Amino acid sequence: MSEAAITADSQALGPPERLHPLFLLTGLGKSLRGAWGMVAVGAVLATQGRWWLVVVLAVGFVIVSIGGLLLKWLKLEYRVGAHELRIDSGLLSRTSRAIPFDRVTDIDLEQGPLHRLFGLARVRLETGASAGAKNEDGVLDTISLDRAEALRDHIRARHGQPVAAPVDARDAPPPLFAMDKRRVVTAGLFNFSLAVLAGLFGISQTVGDLIGFDPFRRSFWRAALDRFEPLQTLVQAHQFIAVIGGTLVLVAIGVGTGIVRTVLREHGFRLDRSDTGLRRRRGLLTLTDVSIPARRVQAAILVSGPIRRTFDWCQLKLQSLAKDGAKGDHVVAPLAHPGEAAVILASLGWRAGPAAERWRPVSKAYVISFAAMMAPTLIVALGAIAVFGPIVLLWVAAAALAVAVRWFGWRHTRFALADGSLFIDTGWWRQRRAIVPTARIQSIDLTESFWTRAFGVCALRLGVAGGSGFAAHHIPALTRAEAEDLRALLVDAS
Amino acid sequence: MTVDALTATLEPVEPAFLNALRLRAALFWGPLLIGSLLLDRLVLADTPVAGLAPVVVGLFGLGAILIAPRRVYRRLGYAIDARLLRIVRGWLFHADTIVPLIRVQHIDVTAGPVDKLFGIATLVVHTAGTHNSIVTLPGLSPARAADIREAIRSEIRPDTE
Repeated sequence: MSEAAITADSQALGPPERLHPLFLLTGLGKSLRGAWGMVAVGAVLATQGRWWLVVVLAVGFVIVSIGGLLLKWLKLEYRVGAHELRIDSGLLSRTSRAIPFDRVTDIDLEQGPLHRLFGLARVRLETGASAGAKNEDGVLDTISLDRAEALRDHIRARHGQPVAAPVDARDAPPPLFAMDKRRVVTAGLFNFSLAVLAGLFGISQTVGDLIGFDPFRRSFWRAALDRFEPLQTLVQAHQFIAVIGGTLVLVAIGVGTGIVRTVLREHGFRLDRSDTGLRRRRGLLTLTDVSIPARRVQAAILVSGPIRRTFDWCQLKLQSLAKDGAKGDHVVAPLAHPGEAAVILASLGWRAGPAAERWRPVSKAYVISFAAMMAPTLIVALGAIAVFGPIVLLWVAAAALAVAVRWFGWRHTRFALADGSLFIDTGWWRQRRAIVPTARIQSIDLTESFWTRAFGVCALRLGVAGGSGFAAHHIPALTRAEAEDLRALLVDAS
Repeated sequence: MTVDALTATLEPVEPAFLNALRLRAALFWGPLLIGSLLLDRLVLADTPVAGLAPVVVGLFGLGAILIAPRRVYRRLGYAIDARLLRIVRGWLFHADTIVPLIRVQHIDVTAGPVDKLFGIATLVVHTAGTHNSIVTLPGLSPARAADIREAIRSEIRPDTE
C-alpha cells in the first residue's frame, strides 16, 4: 500500500456514526457494578429504616450516571473506513483511535440480556496489542445487531475473505461441534470446583451462626427436620450424622453452582467452521459470538481429568494471539469425545495425536532426581522420631506418596515430533496434551538447574505466542543428548 | 549449512563484563550488609542470634562478589549464524536459548550506568512468545552489539502468512 493510497483511504472514511441511544440503558448496569460501595451504603441505610435517604441516593445516582453516559454517548463517534475503524471519544481529552482492519484478529459480538431484548450487540475488535493488557482496545458498546453484523462482514471482506453467507437456520451447514442440553449439564457436573466448596465451608463456619446457616450443627438439622421425627432423633443422638449431612449439603451446593455457571455460559454451544477459522456461539442470558481465525491459532491443548477420562470426555482449548475475555485460551469444546475433538482439529488441518510408535518417554531421572531431593528430609525425619515420636511417620508417608505420584506422572509424560507438530503429554491426575506446530515456535530453551544437572537431564521449554504465560509448553526431563537432537529437529522444521 | 550455531563453539563476551558483574554484586550486597549491621546493633544486640546476620550476609556477599562472577562469565556465550541466535548462560540455573532470527519482533541495544562505566552493552531480543518473550545477551562491546543487531534486522521479514 503506497502513501498516496493511505491518504486516500483515510479520506474515504464513512460518515460518523453514534452508538445506539439505548446505550444509556445498557451502560447503566456497568456503572451500577462500578458503584458497589454506594449500593452497600444504600443497603445499610435501608436496614436502619432511613428510606428517604436511600431514595435520594438512588435518584442522585441515576441522574449522575445517566448524565455521564449521555456525555459519553454524545462525545463518542465512530467511522468505518475502507481499511480502518476510527473511534473518536472523550470529553476533556479527546482520543482518536484508528484500528486497521489488517491487524484485527478476532471480531467478537456479545449480547447481554438487555441487548437481546432490543436487538443490540457489543462489538469487540481484538488486535494483537490487546492480548496482554486488559484495555478496551476497540470496543463499540451497544450498536444495533444489524450494524454489528454488517461491520463484521465488512471487516471479513477487507481480509480478502468471502463474506459469510447469511446464517439461515434451515440451509446453514451442520455445525462442527455442538452441545445439547444434556451435554451442557454433564459438563457442569465436571465444573464442580473444590475452591467454591472450600469457600462455602469457610463461610458456613465463620458467619454461619449470623445468617442461620451452618449445616454442621445439630440445631440446623433439628430445625430443618422438624416434621420428620425419626431422622430428628437420629441427628439428636449422633453429631457425625450432622457432619455427613453438612458435607452432603455443601457438595450439592458446589455441584449446583458448577451446573448453573456452566449452563449460563455454555447453553446452545455451537462451533462452526467459517472461511477463515472457527466461529463459536454460546450463552444463555449473555450470548457471545466469537471468531477465531485459523492462522492466529498458536497451539491446541486437550485436557482431561480422572473422572472425565473414565467416561471418555476431554476439553479442547486453542491458544491464540487474542484472549478469550479475561481468560487466556479459547475453549472450542468444553466437553467432547476425543473423536469430536479430532474432527475440530482436523478442520484446522491439525492432527490430534501422532502414530502410537512415535511417542517417546522422558528420562527416569524425572522421578529419581525428585526422590533424591526427598531423601535428606527423610533421613532427618527418621532421626527426629526419637524426639517427636511416631507423628514423624506421617511425613515419611507423605514423602512416599509424593514420590509415587511423581512416578505416575512420569508414566504419563511423553512427547512426539510428527506431522509438523510437537505433541507433549503430561500429568497423571489431570492429563494434558499440548499440540504445538513447529512453525509456531518462537524460541527454544534448554534449562537445567544445579540439581537436574547432577542427574544429566534438562528441560526443553518452548516460547509460543499467546496463552496465559504461567505454564510454558515444556518437556520436563530429557537427557542432554536427546534434548539437543530434538532441538536440532525443531529448528530445522520451523 | 556452513556455520551452524548449534554446533559451533560459543563466542565469549567482553572480559570487562566480569568487572561489571562484580561491581553490580557489590552494589547489591553492600547496602544489604550495612542494613544487616544496623539491624544487628539496634534490634538483635541482646538476643542469642546477635552477630549472626552480618556474618551470613557477609559470606553470601563475598561469594557473590568473588566466586560467582567468574563462573557466570565462563558459562556465558553466544553463537549466531544465518538462521539462529543461540545464547547460553547461567551458573546454578543454566539456560541454553535458541531464537530463530525470523521470529524476532524487535531488537534493543541498552547500556545502563554500570555497563557504560565498563564500555559494554546488552542486546535485548523480543519475540512474540509469551514465555521467553525477552531474551537478553549482556556484556557485548557496543560495536559488536550493533553488528548483531544489523545482522538480525536484515533477517526480519514481514510475516508471510
